[in-house]
Amino acid sequence: MSNNQQIFEDWLDGKITDQQCATALQHDAVWYGRMQNAQAIQTDAKAPHFEAVPDFDSSAIFAKQWQRPKPQRSWWPQLSLALSCAAMLISLSPAKFQLQDGSLTLSWQNSQNEINNAVSHALLTYQKEQQQWLVQQLDTQQQSTSSQLVLLKDYLQDELKRDQRSDMLQLVEYLNQQRQADWQYWQENYQPMQAGYRPASNYYSPTNTGVVKP
Amino acid sequence: MFKRSDESLIAKALNGDQSAWQQLVNRHQSALFYFGLRLLGSREDANDLLQDVLMVLCRNLGQYRGDSSFKSWLFGIANYRAMDMLRRRKYSDNDDELAEMPADSPGLPEQLASDRQQKQVQQQLRSLPAEQRLVLELKFYQQFTFDEIASQLAISSNTVKSRFYAALDKLRLQLEDDHVEQSANF
Repeated sequence: MSNNQQIFEDWLDGKITDQQCATALQHDAVWYGRMQNAQAIQTDAKAPHFEAVPDFDSSAIFAKQWQRPKPQRSWWPQLSLALSCAAMLISLSPAKFQLQDGSLTLSWQNSQNEINNAVSHALLTYQKEQQQWLVQQLDTQQQSTSSQLVLLKDYLQDELKRDQRSDMLQLVEYLNQQRQADWQYWQENYQPMQAGYRPASNYYSPTNTGVVKP
Repeated sequence: MFKRSDESLIAKALNGDQSAWQQLVNRHQSALFYFGLRLLGSREDANDLLQDVLMVLCRNLGQYRGDSSFKSWLFGIANYRAMDMLRRRKYSDNDDELAEMPADSPGLPEQLASDRQQKQVQQQLRSLPAEQRLVLELKFYQQFTFDEIASQLAISSNTVKSRFYAALDKLRLQLEDDHVEQSANF
């Protein structure tokens, strides 16, 4: 870039004044002529325009390109959502609507008390059921024990009777054996001796039916 | 009064704010119309260009990223459409139409000298090739820097300067010729 071009471009950019540029370029006919022409065009560019700008409806092309018709807003979805939320809140809250005898009642229930009552009721019912079951079990146990005792008593009695009879039989047998032994001992030891002391007819003679007197 | 930035107006317009769009258009439509008028030479063409650019702008408003100023981005669109129109309508064949354009001034006596000079400048500008005329237009009438013009036209800054100085040289030559003709007339 030549020095004159630099000066000219500085003038175009407004860095130096017309006078400074003209002074610097006056010795170079080419650059001085360019400056004069540029000044003539600048003067023309600064002149006001009297030609009216035609009316042009640019809003139509804008509306066609960028504006979308506003969506028809329906309130039904919002209403539906609001009612759903209200229903959820009512179901979660302690408030309770009750239709009774043709009248609608709004009550504020305490869920904790209800739970406590339900638990107490359930426990009480359970306790009663347990007690009934225990009573039944005790009855059954007692009946079973009684019947078993009766059976045991009968058994023991039978056993006792059997033992007693057996003992008596043994005793009788023993006694019979003893008597037999005494009789045999008498016959062997005392009968001959008796026969030697007196006639046989003088002696008492034992028989099977008793004693025969002499 | 507080003036909203172009970026803020664009953001609002993209959200469907029609008044923001209208403000944006009002802010730039005069510059676009006069740009078209100078470059294309007739009210009808300038009006067509204005409508065309605004339609393209409206369609592509969301594509503005803020890498350059909005005006520079907007004139990038306008340059392309204007050059396209010039190519299609073979503008250079219709110079007669340009020459018949009415003077801007209503003809006040104190403005006569100034008007004569303006008319001369405008006539000579119209005789330049379209690419060179476009560079002068962007530099002097729209006050863009060489780098901004290069960005808008997707060419290098040196090419822009080359077209700029070539245009100034031709203009100078023509002005000189005009001066000679005027001197001869006297």
